[in-house]
Amino acid sequence: MLKYTIRRILAIVPMLFLISVVVFFLALAMPGDALSGEIDPNNSDPEYIEMMREKLGYNDPIHVQYYRWITDFIQGDFGTSVKYKMPVEDLIAQRLPNTIFLGIISLLFTYLFAFAMGMYAGKKPYTKIDHAIGGFNYLMLAIPIYIAGVFAIYLFSFKLGWFPFSGSVDIALTEGTAEWWLSRLYHVILPALVLGAMGTASYTQFLRNDIIDNSQKDYVRTARAKGTPESRIYNQHILRNSVIPLITFLGFDIVTIVNGALITETIFTYPGLGQLFLTSMQTNDYPTLMTLALMFSFLVLIGNLIADLLYGIVDPRIRVE
Amino acid sequence: MEIVPNHNQTQTSATKPQKSMSPWAIARRKFFKNKLAVISLIYLTAIAVLSLLAPYITTADVTKVNIGDMSLPPSSEHWLGTDTSGRDVFTRLLYGGRVSLLVGVTCTTFILIIGTIIGSVAGYFGGWVDNVLMRFTDFMLNFPFLVFVIVLNAVLFGVISGVWLLIFVISMLGWGGVARLVRSKILSEKENEYILAAISVGGKPYKIIGKHLLPNVLTTVIVQATILFAGMIVAESALSYLGFGVPQEVPSWGNMLSASQQPEVLQNMPWIWMPPALVLILTILSINFIGEGIKDALNPKSFR
Repeated sequence: MLKYTIRRILAIVPMLFLISVVVFFLALAMPGDALSGEIDPNNSDPEYIEMMREKLGYNDPIHVQYYRWITDFIQGDFGTSVKYKMPVEDLIAQRLPNTIFLGIISLLFTYLFAFAMGMYAGKKPYTKIDHAIGGFNYLMLAIPIYIAGVFAIYLFSFKLGWFPFSGSVDIALTEGTAEWWLSRLYHVILPALVLGAMGTASYTQFLRNDIIDNSQKDYVRTARAKGTPESRIYNQHILRNSVIPLITFLGFDIVTIVNGALITETIFTYPGLGQLFLTSMQTNDYPTLMTLALMFSFLVLIGNLIADLLYGIVDPRIRVE
Repeated sequence: MEIVPNHNQTQTSATKPQKSMSPWAIARRKFFKNKLAVISLIYLTAIAVLSLLAPYITTADVTKVNIGDMSLPPSSEHWLGTDTSGRDVFTRLLYGGRVSLLVGVTCTTFILIIGTIIGSVAGYFGGWVDNVLMRFTDFMLNFPFLVFVIVLNAVLFGVISGVWLLIFVISMLGWGGVARLVRSKILSEKENEYILAAISVGGKPYKIIGKHLLPNVLTTVIVQATILFAGMIVAESALSYLGFGVPQEVPSWGNMLSASQQPEVLQNMPWIWMPPALVLILTILSINFIGEGIKDALNPKSFR
């Protein structure tokens, strides 16, 4: 396992390098100065741009510029945001907890619903409720996440008035108090529900099919023959075996959350990294944009790495190449 | 190739020769027995025809802003009401279908072409060709799709105009999955003896791929095409909803839905955003059903 882990980690190093090169060249293609934010992209006076370019070393050879940028990046110096006039790293530090919070709560929702529905459907396959669950999941797969978000706001925020439709916390409360945490939870529920619903369908169907497969196996017959109660067979013997393949989904969930956060955070005006990405796009805040693009790519890479490693744990054959 | 002549033809010219159905005919019959798939096909055809004939069906101007008719609820004059700029929602829905379906169809086609070429070349040649192409595919798959569509859209803005920019960017970033799938299918298919035979009689690689291998992976590609088609329509509408898809003035289902970002519209004018939302969901559902139908029909082991 150690050898496999080291090999997988070494394999992503060239990927990291290539992705950073691509982002670097995309940043150079952006108007203004997308890397450090010293040149204002909205000021198009040629003399000003020429002066700033000379001063910031943009007339240096490409590899020198790349080296300077990537060493700054690794040391946590991401440049200055054009819009917020503050270092990008501080901006990200402000928003990151919100996105992580949203991601965790949405994952909890996914697991909660998927386990409830998947375990029931797997225990009683081909019944009416199983078909209902299957049909519901089919519908969920067909509804794009942003439409689900729009309907959720319309129904739960406007018609029923249960949940707020924007923000991440009631700003009148002091940070750190119990009320403040409750308010954060209250604000995150609706976006997390929508984001969490996205992964639920595939989890549910996978769990259901795996439970049905497992229930035909010899160990289940043995357990029945010993007189083990049916609920114990399903909730312990079978579930333990069916959950193992599911953990490999965890890596892909990171990818889903990165892509999903972009949309959910925008719909719910939830101040996280996804929303920051889109606002920086709208306001030509290229330094923030490129930092986030690189960060998201790294996250996806790490998500895929985690998925690979978990596969290696679950299925030892994969470790041997 | 010469086959032993079949004497049946002369003998049974009066009674028709018993001809067994071709695999495609069997598949077609199976598909049309699947009610859900047929209903979906009818719905999708109807949407496509209505969108194509939009200029003949409605006379209202899609782009012209009418200050006098702003935000009217549905009436006999405006079947689905008007939006906040006074444009007829029904007209925009039809024209929006054109753009959404166009983006869906063209992106799917381009992605299939790129993915199939890369996947089949990698799978057929193997060795270092496979290694290089697949590392490149992995590399493309590591980019978060939405993020890079948005970034590339910004970089290329002005180079390519209008809807085609989005189509180009989506196609360039989206082919990774197809390439992987086609490669894995080709890898197992090329182990068959008929391929060995084709190589041994001196068949050129492009001919073996095109004539012998691709027809045998076609069923996989067709099923993948329906999944892609639905995915691309969703991608276009999601990007347009966020304001980074097709240009704002072009009516598309996603652009129509983006009106719901104003709380006022979302809360009090459901006729503006609900029709495109429902049409979109039904379209995705019907494409999924058609895909399932085709998958079942092409699977010789299923007897539904």
